[in-house]
Amino acid sequence: MLIKVCSVANSGLKTIGIDVEVNVASRGLPAFEIVGLPSKAVAESKERVKTAIVNSEIEFPQRRIIVNLAPADVPKEGSCYDLPIAIGILSLVMGCELPEKSLFYGELSLDGTLRHTKGTLLLALFAKEKKFTNIFVPKASANEAAIIKDVNVYPIENLKQLLDYCTGQIEITPAEYRESEEDTVSVEFDMAEVLGQEQAKRALEISASGGHNFFMVGSPGAGKTMLARALPGILPPLAEKESLEVTKIYSASGRIPPEGTLVKTRPFRAPHHTISQIGLTGGGSKPQPGEISLAHRGVLFLDEFNEFPRSVLEALRQPMEDGSLSISRSRERVKYPARFILAASANPCPCGYLYDPKRMCSCTQREIERYRKRVSGPILDRIDLHVEVPVVDVEHLSRFEPTQKNLTSSGQIRKRVKKARDLQQNRFKEETIHTNSEMKNRHIKKYCRLSAEVKQLLIQAVKQFHLSARSYFKMIKVARTIADLENSSEITINHMAEALQYRPRVKTE
Amino acid sequence: MTGVIKITNRKYPRLLKKIPDPPEKLYYKGSWDADIFKDCLAVVGARRMTRYGEQITDLLVSEIAAAGITIVSGFMYGIDASAHKAALKSGGRTIACMPCGIDVVHPAHQEELYNEIIENNGLIISEYENDFPPALWTYPKRNRIVAGLSKATLVVEAGEKSGSLITADLTRKFERKLFSVPGQLTSAMSKGTVNLIKEGAGIVTSASDILAYYGAEGINKLEKNFLWDGLNNLEQSIIKELERESMEIDVLSRAVKTPVAVLGRELSLMQLKGLVKEGAGKYYLKVTKTQFA
Repeated sequence: MLIKVCSVANSGLKTIGIDVEVNVASRGLPAFEIVGLPSKAVAESKERVKTAIVNSEIEFPQRRIIVNLAPADVPKEGSCYDLPIAIGILSLVMGCELPEKSLFYGELSLDGTLRHTKGTLLLALFAKEKKFTNIFVPKASANEAAIIKDVNVYPIENLKQLLDYCTGQIEITPAEYRESEEDTVSVEFDMAEVLGQEQAKRALEISASGGHNFFMVGSPGAGKTMLARALPGILPPLAEKESLEVTKIYSASGRIPPEGTLVKTRPFRAPHHTISQIGLTGGGSKPQPGEISLAHRGVLFLDEFNEFPRSVLEALRQPMEDGSLSISRSRERVKYPARFILAASANPCPCGYLYDPKRMCSCTQREIERYRKRVSGPILDRIDLHVEVPVVDVEHLSRFEPTQKNLTSSGQIRKRVKKARDLQQNRFKEETIHTNSEMKNRHIKKYCRLSAEVKQLLIQAVKQFHLSARSYFKMIKVARTIADLENSSEITINHMAEALQYRPRVKTE
Repeated sequence: MTGVIKITNRKYPRLLKKIPDPPEKLYYKGSWDADIFKDCLAVVGARRMTRYGEQITDLLVSEIAAAGITIVSGFMYGIDASAHKAALKSGGRTIACMPCGIDVVHPAHQEELYNEIIENNGLIISEYENDFPPALWTYPKRNRIVAGLSKATLVVEAGEKSGSLITADLTRKFERKLFSVPGQLTSAMSKGTVNLIKEGAGIVTSASDILAYYGAEGINKLEKNFLWDGLNNLEQSIIKELERESMEIDVLSRAVKTPVAVLGRELSLMQLKGLVKEGAGKYYLKVTKTQFA
């Protein structure tokens, strides 16, 4: 007796259909084997399935059971085949029909209940694409799958319940998608809490508006970390499409909690500088998304930028340019999106007090040079906004008390950012990009016409400030965003002049 | 290209011969011209100079060197290098005294400056031959040559234990004139210079203070009013603020009561026009004579 149960395998963000073929032989010694390149977790599924069936008060057949996961040459991993294997065996033993056009997916617990399993969103997307009408998933993972409409998502609590449904004894109502109740952005700091640092705040506003990467250099205690952590508060909410992109990554890597919903807030990832290259870019023999992909459509904050190993930082170059990263391994090749705002911060020298007016820097010229060289030119060249964050003189600030009280809050800035983003959305509606920072040279030609006057200013600046060709285009992009913030369709001298404030300071001679 | 002059040679600098322990031999690079030693001013200071130090060195030295006075210094980074550069920029001559063998460029990253000094009728001199490496004890030895060659020594910036103070000490020991640039009392880099003033060093507030000592005359000083022509209100108030002290853009924005976004664009334009300069996160006026000549 043979039955074919449909399930899926996720490889990166791609999903392929898997046929779980279960054969319960009428002859031969009792056995239970799984073939078709199962990983350890899949092979162990034998014991889970067996025990779960027994604990569901059904007798496990003393027959020769062979399970084949087809196509046989694709490596299978994870615990999601427990449910299709178990239900395949049960349907043969109990002689019940399984619903048609259905996918089964989920991990079994030894007592026969189903556990939260990662990747149900990808499963639902696959079902929709391949015209499966029903999917059966663990109850805890059902809400995540129900994000996708047009597919019946059956939340299954335990094996017995599913069996009763298949034999027609009970009905299960498909899950309806429920939004999470708390939808407020929880932010550590409000911009209004950061004293002084007007230029840095302005740079953050531009960064949030156009999706530009930025780099802050300043002494310890100047407020770099605080500024970066205030950034999520001024970012616009994720658009529906973006939200789905982010949720897919989180689903694939098992980061959606039980009863999870769409990811609505932009991710903010702040890995420590001891992170490995794989940790940052993703990888492993079964390629997992790294921090850059987890920060997709959000912020990747690298504090103490110069302390990161050079090889780790260099790995950022290509994804920063392409907005995605392909990880190739001998057995598979996966592509994770990685379109993030890189927020970096560093001290000006190893001891940190180089420009500090009150404290002596104890570094030698050589130490400072070596410290700076840890971040390569090409990386700095890919950062649009460079800001120096000086130490705030509290005494000086207190003299300006009255203006301190009406500091702009994150909420106000967020509104301006939203407007600028809407303009960009409109501009790029026929393109595949979303923000000014993503513009390639052809986009710049098309959308950023410079008047002769502005062009001349820029060319003069390139010469005088020794800017690279890449910086030339960065400046135009930043100027475009500044113009957007002012709702101006044209880039004027003023916009360009302000953009020049955020140029990289390679050497001040 | 390397040459050597013995103390018995008529071309050996006269002033240097007068010090208690003049070097027996002087190795040199460049063309030896006895004229270069006629009016020498030693300019020394901290390696880890502040923007103020750099600005003052540039301001004073370019005017002094332009008046035909040779600038002698120790080729270290910081004030030394700034002094050499300022002298070259204004078309003056400069002598670098090395603490190491004549064939060593130390510090190596200043090779460009090294060659520039030679190409512009300057001199590289040392009492050590070939590739003798610099050592802790060669620096103070070198300082006696710097002070010994010069009629006067100008200390721009010095910390409490700066090596420049050794040169200052030697200057007084050789009974030459010592000048010191006043600085902020709170600045660690001015502790040494302020102490020198307290001990009787001449206070320098403009290049003419030094030029007067040499009996030389400076080129016409910059006409301030020239600056103000054709400047808009914001530019004028920015200059007014920066005249007092250099400041960060955030502080400046509060001082001139203008949002940073607007101030930033103005500063970019002023920088391109060459009115202001920027470094170490601060803006300062760029009022060196060469800018407006």
